[in-house]
Amino acid sequence: MVRNIQFNHATVRFNESFSLKDISWNIQPDEVWAITGLNGSGKSALAAALWGQGELYNGKIDGLPDQFAVVSLEAQAALIERERERDDSDITDEVNKGTPVRELLDELSVDPELLAKLIEVFHLEPLLDRGFRKLSTGESRKVLISRALSSRPDFLILDEPFEGLDRQTVPLVREILADILVAGPGVPGMVLVFNRFDEIPDFVTHIAFMVDGRIEHQFSADDSDALRGLEQILHINRQDLKLPVADANDRLPELDGSDPLVRISAATIKYEDNIVFENIDWCIKPGEHWQLTGPNGSGKTCLLNLITGDHPQCYSNDIFVFGFQRGNGESIWDIKQHIGYVSTALQWEYRVSISLRNVIISGFYDSIGLYSKATDTQKTIADEWLHLLGLESSADRAFNQLSYGDQRLLLIARAMVKHPQLLILDEPCLGLDDLNRRLVLALIEKICTGKETTVIYVNHHAEDKIDGIRRSLKLQ
Amino acid sequence: MPTRTNYFNTLTLREQLAQLGKCDFMHQSEFSDGANYLKGKKLVIIGCGSQGLNQGLNLRDSGLDVSYTLRAAAISEKRQSWKNATENGFTVGSYEELIPDADLVLNLTPDKQHSSVVGQVVPLMKQNSCLSYSHGFNIVEEGMEIREDITVIMVAPKCPGTEVREEYKRGFGVPTLIAIHENNDPRGEGLAIAKAYAAGTGGHKAGVLMSSFIAEVKSDLMGEQTILCGMLQTGSLLCFDKMIEKGVEKSYAAKLIQYGWETVTEALKHGGVTNMMDRLANPAKIKAFDLAEEMKDIMRPLYLKHMDDIMTGDFSAGMMEDWANDDDKLLGWRKETGETNFETTEVTADEISEQEYFDHGILMVAMVKAGVELAYETMTSAGIKEESAYYESLHETPLIANTIARKKLYEMNSTISDTAEYGCYLYNHACLPLLADFMTGIEADVIGRGMGLNDDGVDNQRLIEVNASIRDHSVEAIGQELRGYMSAMKKIV
Repeated sequence: MVRNIQFNHATVRFNESFSLKDISWNIQPDEVWAITGLNGSGKSALAAALWGQGELYNGKIDGLPDQFAVVSLEAQAALIERERERDDSDITDEVNKGTPVRELLDELSVDPELLAKLIEVFHLEPLLDRGFRKLSTGESRKVLISRALSSRPDFLILDEPFEGLDRQTVPLVREILADILVAGPGVPGMVLVFNRFDEIPDFVTHIAFMVDGRIEHQFSADDSDALRGLEQILHINRQDLKLPVADANDRLPELDGSDPLVRISAATIKYEDNIVFENIDWCIKPGEHWQLTGPNGSGKTCLLNLITGDHPQCYSNDIFVFGFQRGNGESIWDIKQHIGYVSTALQWEYRVSISLRNVIISGFYDSIGLYSKATDTQKTIADEWLHLLGLESSADRAFNQLSYGDQRLLLIARAMVKHPQLLILDEPCLGLDDLNRRLVLALIEKICTGKETTVIYVNHHAEDKIDGIRRSLKLQ
Repeated sequence: MPTRTNYFNTLTLREQLAQLGKCDFMHQSEFSDGANYLKGKKLVIIGCGSQGLNQGLNLRDSGLDVSYTLRAAAISEKRQSWKNATENGFTVGSYEELIPDADLVLNLTPDKQHSSVVGQVVPLMKQNSCLSYSHGFNIVEEGMEIREDITVIMVAPKCPGTEVREEYKRGFGVPTLIAIHENNDPRGEGLAIAKAYAAGTGGHKAGVLMSSFIAEVKSDLMGEQTILCGMLQTGSLLCFDKMIEKGVEKSYAAKLIQYGWETVTEALKHGGVTNMMDRLANPAKIKAFDLAEEMKDIMRPLYLKHMDDIMTGDFSAGMMEDWANDDDKLLGWRKETGETNFETTEVTADEISEQEYFDHGILMVAMVKAGVELAYETMTSAGIKEESAYYESLHETPLIANTIARKKLYEMNSTISDTAEYGCYLYNHACLPLLADFMTGIEADVIGRGMGLNDDGVDNQRLIEVNASIRDHSVEAIGQELRGYMSAMKKIV
């Protein structure tokens, strides 16, 4: 049964440094709400409060759904954590393949018909026997959405449902959600979270705009004046954008200017049951910026990992990077010192409780966490980056207590901090709000016009195009 | 098969003591050469399970030339180990194909296969090459003699394989023990090889301990059969039966034990016995302390006997006899374990909060404290250094507790090494009757229900005494130092 959900001056505590404050909010059964706002404003927290997360300190909350399904980065993280726990490889000394997608889908499904349709729409068939942790960002998102929808819950909480999905898939998901909302009895309640205004679907009836843990504005989706007002807030321009300098003491080995930075010849990545791609050639010369495109699962991240050395099959392919023909005695750190890197996988792995300042400094050492003593220069540079991101007052806060979007912002600064030869940005804007997205795009533009850094850029949004990037490689 | 003699027993007392007392922390400056000594050399790993695969991935990422050799059947049937190696882009070949060219052969197969694997591999190894172990049982207890021209070393990361990999990828490593077999160091290069190997896995960043084959084996055997597997098994059975006797709901009792060890030893991992005890309210802490003291007095002779049997070689002789007898005793005991009440009871789906595991598991906390301290005290009094004793008692307890949380006792025993399992049963059979009397005086307040305290008040003087006694134990001092090497670096700034 979908009920009326009521927040009455509710204060909900999530951790030492974040609470939702004085939330008064009323969701009628026939309303579909979108929560939006800046990074760290509490969008995901408000969505999580709908399924009982956080600790109610003050005020009242009534009518929360008993039976619900959640799609969010946190839900994805929980599933990954469960896979980690299920991994007995250290005990049995046998390497674990992970829970197959088929099992994850069947686990919650009560509607085989809908599930079959979702599998078809998302092209999940070839992935059914693969372990969950082996999926790409977009693929795992599709699995998560399918699990949630086919469990036929009373209430759906979709935190950034389109994030990480390729361009072809987004309209399909939007359509499926719209269908669910008109399909007679048993229509679930639905609340969605969006970072990007342009992603809010037509079926949304109301919008809540978060600022600093509060609902600052709430209005009907057809209130065009209110919408325009918000867009203005988000269009504050950041004038005279200036990149903090690199650390002059941090001198890397000189590269031979006549060599390409990267030369990949006839690269193939394959597993027992599938071929990710075959015969890819790619030559990246200094100063030639590239965009890498392709649908979910086409192997974009795998290809980039051949360059960074994070994919084990980089040793069985013909790869030349930064003067090294791979597999000839160079260490992975010899390679990584020339690269700045942001990806969703990195963010999953960056599960440490160090301070924001140290996260940025760890970019000088290519490490996750910080294991060396930073110099004063490095600290100064890190503080300049924090200032640029508007996070200077949080320099000593713990990284793992930040929202997903703020974490992402930090990791982008970490990637850029040493002005690397090669900057690899694998869907950098994932999880960023409109304001920060513009900031990051402007930073990338700026870097592309400079001479030091060559950029490889992956993204699914046509509107996030970078002017300085003219070359493009498309995977199928 | 040639008759072999226990290597330890061939040494003079002076040599034995020197070997047992070896375990020194090495400075990071001793690793400034990184993995260079092994650059350009051929490393061939035998076995591609979790340790084998993850160490190989690290060594290769450190610029070393790594390939895998598997038994012919594993290759022709494309078993999981073959898939692990090939999907990660490694060359895989039979012993005959790869061993003759290897400069360093890394034996990462289970203990029990060592005799057979080493017997097959050594004749194929080239002159003046090197063989490494991750555990010294084969050399020390089985008395395996390796050809004179071959260097024999040990490199043993003190964490599970997946952690070895994960820490490396972060730019760090896990604490690692290295040793040189002095009988087999013909060119004096054993240390250089072991250091480069440890650096190649990232171990030098988290701390390397220079030990000996003997110290590793004797301390490892002692730890695994007493506190690690033995005490946790005996404790599980006693605590479960007591709770049933006192009318605690049985699915609750089963859960409290299955996950309780993991929860309380997680506290141990972070801050030693002190932190584990600090998780209890003051009256409960004093109670646990008294119970632990009482149990230590009762169990001390048993710990001494285990240490003595390990030192004389009686333990391994008995076990190897059973190996020769197709594991007759071992399999019988394993079956018995599978039939115990604790093992066959389903656990409840109801949640038990983290703190409740402490509050309702006071006796379990006391057992961990008693077992860790006794094992540590017994080892150090037998001439084993504090560092070794710490790693083989306190440090490893959470790892076994984690196995029980996942698998209960039967599976825990099936997956740990044969030496650990055999020793665990010996301990359990002796310890159950030994604690029988003590257990008759136990009520559900210390296991199953909690003390139901309305008033946390205690006598100040008594609390000061108890706290001092917990904190001043030598396992706490060395533990703080060794844990510091890992966390101090993580928190350096």
